[in-house]
Amino acid sequence: MTRWIRLAAAVPACLLGAPGTAALAAEPQSGGMPQLDFGNPLMIAQIVWLLLIFGLLYFVMANYALPRVGEILEERRRRIAADLEAARAAKAEADAAAAAHREATLRARTEAQAAVASALQEAQEEAHRRAEALNARLAEQIAAAEARIAAARDAAMGALRQVATDTAEALVARLIGRADRDAVEAAVGRELATRRQEA
Amino acid sequence: MAAEGNAIDALSQFELTPVLGVVGASVGFTQSNAHMLLAVGLITALMMWGTAGRAVIPGRLQALAESAYEFVHDMAVGQIGEEGRRFFPFLFSLFMFILFGNLLGLLPYAFTFTSHIAVTFTLAAIVFVLITAVGIAIHGWRWFGYFKPEGLSPALAVLVVPIEIISYLSRPISLSVRLFANMVAGHVMLKVFASFVVMLGTAGFLGFLGAAAPLAINVALVGFEFLVAFLQAYVFAILTSIYLHDAVHLH
Amino acid sequence: MADRDDFDRRLQEARARQGLDAAPKERGGLPGGAWGIGFRVGVELVSALVVGLAIGWALDRWLGTGPWLLLLFVVLGAAAGVLNVYRVFMPRRGPR
Repeated sequence: MTRWIRLAAAVPACLLGAPGTAALAAEPQSGGMPQLDFGNPLMIAQIVWLLLIFGLLYFVMANYALPRVGEILEERRRRIAADLEAARAAKAEADAAAAAHREATLRARTEAQAAVASALQEAQEEAHRRAEALNARLAEQIAAAEARIAAARDAAMGALRQVATDTAEALVARLIGRADRDAVEAAVGRELATRRQEA
Repeated sequence: MAAEGNAIDALSQFELTPVLGVVGASVGFTQSNAHMLLAVGLITALMMWGTAGRAVIPGRLQALAESAYEFVHDMAVGQIGEEGRRFFPFLFSLFMFILFGNLLGLLPYAFTFTSHIAVTFTLAAIVFVLITAVGIAIHGWRWFGYFKPEGLSPALAVLVVPIEIISYLSRPISLSVRLFANMVAGHVMLKVFASFVVMLGTAGFLGFLGAAAPLAINVALVGFEFLVAFLQAYVFAILTSIYLHDAVHLH
Repeated sequence: MADRDDFDRRLQEARARQGLDAAPKERGGLPGGAWGIGFRVGVELVSALVVGLAIGWALDRWLGTGPWLLLLFVVLGAAAGVLNVYRVFMPRRGPR
């Protein structure tokens, strides 16, 4: 800021200017600044006109210009606010739609997973049931086979006893001349019992 | 116009001369008033013609009008508060009138009506009457308590109250002198350096070269004066709004 | 996602610019600058002194009290000038 400098320069300028004009006798009545020449009737006129003109400016501004500009600004503010409000609403809507979509996708996926799981379980149960049935039938068949084998063996055992007793009786009769049928039968029975145990 | 004879005549630019021939002379209508009227015309043209389109997307002129509106409106509401809306038209007229007066004065051959202490003092006096009237209208007799700070002993009040009154009365003086002095100093400087340019420029080859320095200074000064023109209008308006704040709120 | 965040931010900024959402407000003061302040101080001092001088002179003329009221009011004017200068730097303003 050089206002001080300018003010300092203005003072010598006044001093310089005043003698100069005085020397030229351009305005002999004035010793300095025309602004301070309050005797000048034009000064009063200037003030009166100033008041009139400034009053006119105030009147025009207050009644016409400023309300109009204010209206324009208010209108724009309203419009921008409405636009921004609409933008925000649209964005909220879009967000909601996106969320709904996401949720729907999630639900569908969950449902599909559940369906797959239940189908899988059903299939497993079915397979299990079938395996069990098969097992049961096999076990039955095995049991029947085992029974048949047991019966066949018992029959074979019965025959074997008869043959063994007869053979043993004949052997004993040849060796010692006589044979006690009951004793031989008991001995064979004993022997067969021990063999079966060992077998 | 720049230099008459050998003397630098920096002050004749402030002289009042009637315009509009005999009619102007008879009603004392001077070139100062003509410039005031021109300023009012320009302001009105800017605000009315510039916004004639009422465009939502403003053109250049409308953007200027709107930014002037918002600038002063923000000042009024920011400094005074919500009550500032009532004084906004006045503050706007004051700011634009001074701003256009300052700027018009920077044009060649134009007259700067804000370089007349009578003009600036009249504007300051309007402000002074307004702030006093507003203060009394709003607060009635309590307004006079403005000059007596609270919790002051009577002995000190005898001393402080006259000081406060003088301080209050000095407002229009400082307001008007500040604007007046700034405008006068700027224009005197411009005229002095312009005279140097002419005097040196007509004094032969060396002088012609030497004239470059004051010419450069003048170019810089004109740029600076634009800043001052705006700043002084702003200071006048913002001090007015601060005074209005005091009048409305008492301190 | 980055696009959406960007849109959010821009919308927020646009709303803030239009003052729809609360935005921080600043309050303007007087422009500073050493020369500006110096000039203001000078004007404040001198204008208060002038007012004091005028009041003293007028009262002396009215009451015929010689130069005494003039002297008194010059002193008061100087004090008022100092007060003015003080207020340039320390504004007597509460929260507004």
